Amino acid sequence: MQKLGLRLGLCLSAAMVFTSLAWANDQALKKEPPPDLYEGMPDWYRAVYKDNVGLSEGAGPFKDYFKPQMLDMYWQPNRHYEPMKNLDHSVFIEKGRRDLCVTCHEEATPGIVQDWRESAHKFPKRTPYLSSRTSEIEKHTGRVLDEVHCFDCHADTEKKQIRMPTGEVCGECHRKQFEDFLREREMGRPNHIQSWEANTIVPWYAEAARRGYLYGQHGCDMCHSGAEKCDVCHTRHKFSAAEGRQPEACITCHMGPDHPDAESYGESKHGVIYKQQEEHYDFTKPLAEVRPGKDYRTPTCQYCHMYEKHGRFIHNPVMKGIWRMGTIPPKNLEYTSSLKDYPYGIKIIGDKIDIYSEENIAKRSYWLEVCAKCHSDRFADTYLKSLDEFMFQAHTLADQAQKIVEDLIADGVLYPDASNRDPYPLSDGIEKMLSADFLGEPVYNAFKTLKGKFPVVGPILGVYGMFLQMQDNPSAIENMYNRLWFWYKLQGYKGTAHAQQDVSWWWGQAPMMMEFTRIQAEAARLRREAGIEQAAVEQAAMK
Amino acid sequence: MKPKVILDKVGLWGTTAVAGMALILSMAPTTAKAVTIPTEVTELGKNTYEKYCSACHGEEGDGNGPVARSMLPKPRNFTRGAYKFRTTPSGSLPTDEDIFRTISYGIPNSTMIPWDILSEEERASVIPVLKSFSEAFEYRDPEPPVAVGLEVRPTERTIAEGKKIYEEKLECWKCHGVEGRGNGPSADEQEDDFGFPIKPFDFTTGKFKGGNSSTDIYLRFTTGLNGTPMPSFAKELTDEERWYLTHYVMSLVQPEESKKNKECK
Repeated sequence: MQKLGLRLGLCLSAAMVFTSLAWANDQALKKEPPPDLYEGMPDWYRAVYKDNVGLSEGAGPFKDYFKPQMLDMYWQPNRHYEPMKNLDHSVFIEKGRRDLCVTCHEEATPGIVQDWRESAHKFPKRTPYLSSRTSEIEKHTGRVLDEVHCFDCHADTEKKQIRMPTGEVCGECHRKQFEDFLREREMGRPNHIQSWEANTIVPWYAEAARRGYLYGQHGCDMCHSGAEKCDVCHTRHKFSAAEGRQPEACITCHMGPDHPDAESYGESKHGVIYKQQEEHYDFTKPLAEVRPGKDYRTPTCQYCHMYEKHGRFIHNPVMKGIWRMGTIPPKNLEYTSSLKDYPYGIKIIGDKIDIYSEENIAKRSYWLEVCAKCHSDRFADTYLKSLDEFMFQAHTLADQAQKIVEDLIADGVLYPDASNRDPYPLSDGIEKMLSADFLGEPVYNAFKTLKGKFPVVGPILGVYGMFLQMQDNPSAIENMYNRLWFWYKLQGYKGTAHAQQDVSWWWGQAPMMMEFTRIQAEAARLRREAGIEQAAVEQAAMK
Repeated sequence: MKPKVILDKVGLWGTTAVAGMALILSMAPTTAKAVTIPTEVTELGKNTYEKYCSACHGEEGDGNGPVARSMLPKPRNFTRGAYKFRTTPSGSLPTDEDIFRTISYGIPNSTMIPWDILSEEERASVIPVLKSFSEAFEYRDPEPPVAVGLEVRPTERTIAEGKKIYEEKLECWKCHGVEGRGNGPSADEQEDDFGFPIKPFDFTTGKFKGGNSSTDIYLRFTTGLNGTPMPSFAKELTDEERWYLTHYVMSLVQPEESKKNKECK
């Protein structure tokens, strides 16, 4: 009997060994390639956005025209990070002395060490929930995770250097969240994952830099650093999921004249109730487990925007976007200005939006699924349709304003005219660095033949006037128009979309109207002056 | 004897022997006896200092390296030859072994990590470089280390005696606080010889800067900390009284605080 027991035991252990070997093989087979922010993108993206050049050159197609701010190494670590030169940390990595990070940094930077101590990284199995999530990560990484330590994110063990972690580093463990985030690309810009591209692909960024305004663009860089880094929403070094679920996580960027999300949500009934009853919101719950009315009395930014469809949430907030921040003209209008030809054959800008496309109708139904947690389908549908109508009216007004400016140009009364002022930003660079493949034949040829000596108004390329003023370019009326379509139209959009009546009217519709007044008056003045000048010329000729 | 019993015995004795060896090894003090400390500045010393020390302590050893400005406490300025942790009497220069020990042990509660990450040779090579920053080493030799008297066994009585010294005789609490948290009424006024505010030590942390053994702490009372307001009590206190005070301040350590500190490592 004893022998039998022994044999059985041996067999069982052998079976266990083979099973575990098989499991290990299985794991090896399943090993995923490392996460890559530029997966599926053309090679030139990687070359100008990802390949590390330190601070020796800029990023994007116009990288040769400017050198980055030193701070950009923290905003865009893949491209620009340089390890400290005067305090070589490689010895700690070479010798694997993980203990010394905390020994020194709890004195040097105690705040971040304390953050880490309170984080799920310090205790990845602190609660049953965390433990179950950690065990999933352990399965797909093949690692035992009792503590996620400074070394795990900051040590580049190949180069034996300190690295500044990017989303790719986070994605090694948080694969699903990273891949969800990558999917923002499917929607095209504006989005978060391409926000650094958006920051530096525009010619006025490099032009401002070479004219001595590099540091003036600090504000742009701070928000547009969200492309590579997860700590924009889940701040260092707690990296808390709960923190990322709070509306405040969004508002450092999503505020102000171009997208007053903080103001419009914050002062809407949704936002006000959140503030009044904040203690009744349970942010520890994953969004999919939130019970409306019980865990959240009103929705948060994340609850609406990260709801994907059919009860599922996704780890990015752009998938259901229809109006795309309100900058892109809809297809569903008859335009009087050149907006009818938008995007003018330019291939690096998305086409006009068809609000009633099959895709957008489906997206609207997903919005209604969210609204229906509290509102009737009819109320929600009516509300969102009124948003569409607001936007159609606002775009119509913008079209009329654009027509006024374009008519001035066509009639030769815009003063100073394009031939007597600085050219379009970085025209030399555009001609050299971009091609008809990016700009389309007509626009590319215009840059090639006219060298940027032509006016550009309206979305998107005309917005340069809000970022850069060159000699007489843009003129006052062009920037009046920029304010109308880029500020007031978008403010009205956010006020209406987030159900904040005052923002909708006093920051949106009312100033749009008042700016329209100024545009009409300025156009009349220019025409009158041109008429007086013309009459004087004719009178002189008659003499 | 059944085989199982023999195995048990071997196991027990084996474990005891290994544990005993480990205990003996861990008790061995860190000394530089086996290391040769160069008398002159060497290339290795210069390079090691530049690579690992100068970012904080500065190329000229003035404590003003590029990352020093944001640090508190400030990195040591070596130009005056004032070293806190020594075996030599108050006001004396340190021995080479003292410097070696501080480099190897580090200074808890500061950014000075234990540099045992470097080889003993590298650590030793830095010593002449540090000394080269101060003229004091050209004119004086360190005085011989102080005599460490035979330790008194810690008992409730020695702790109570220490408490009296702490509270009445020396009024240590004025700087270090009644509970030893470094928050006494005069704590905020303290400055070091370089004009930087200096925080009286918080005994509850259990991370004594010059080492956690009773001898280390006894030495601090005997030698003082040069360059700081912490004087030597070699004259004010008898040898025994310094042991009493040692036992008292060790009794102020809060087990939870020191556990938390260990847990972070």
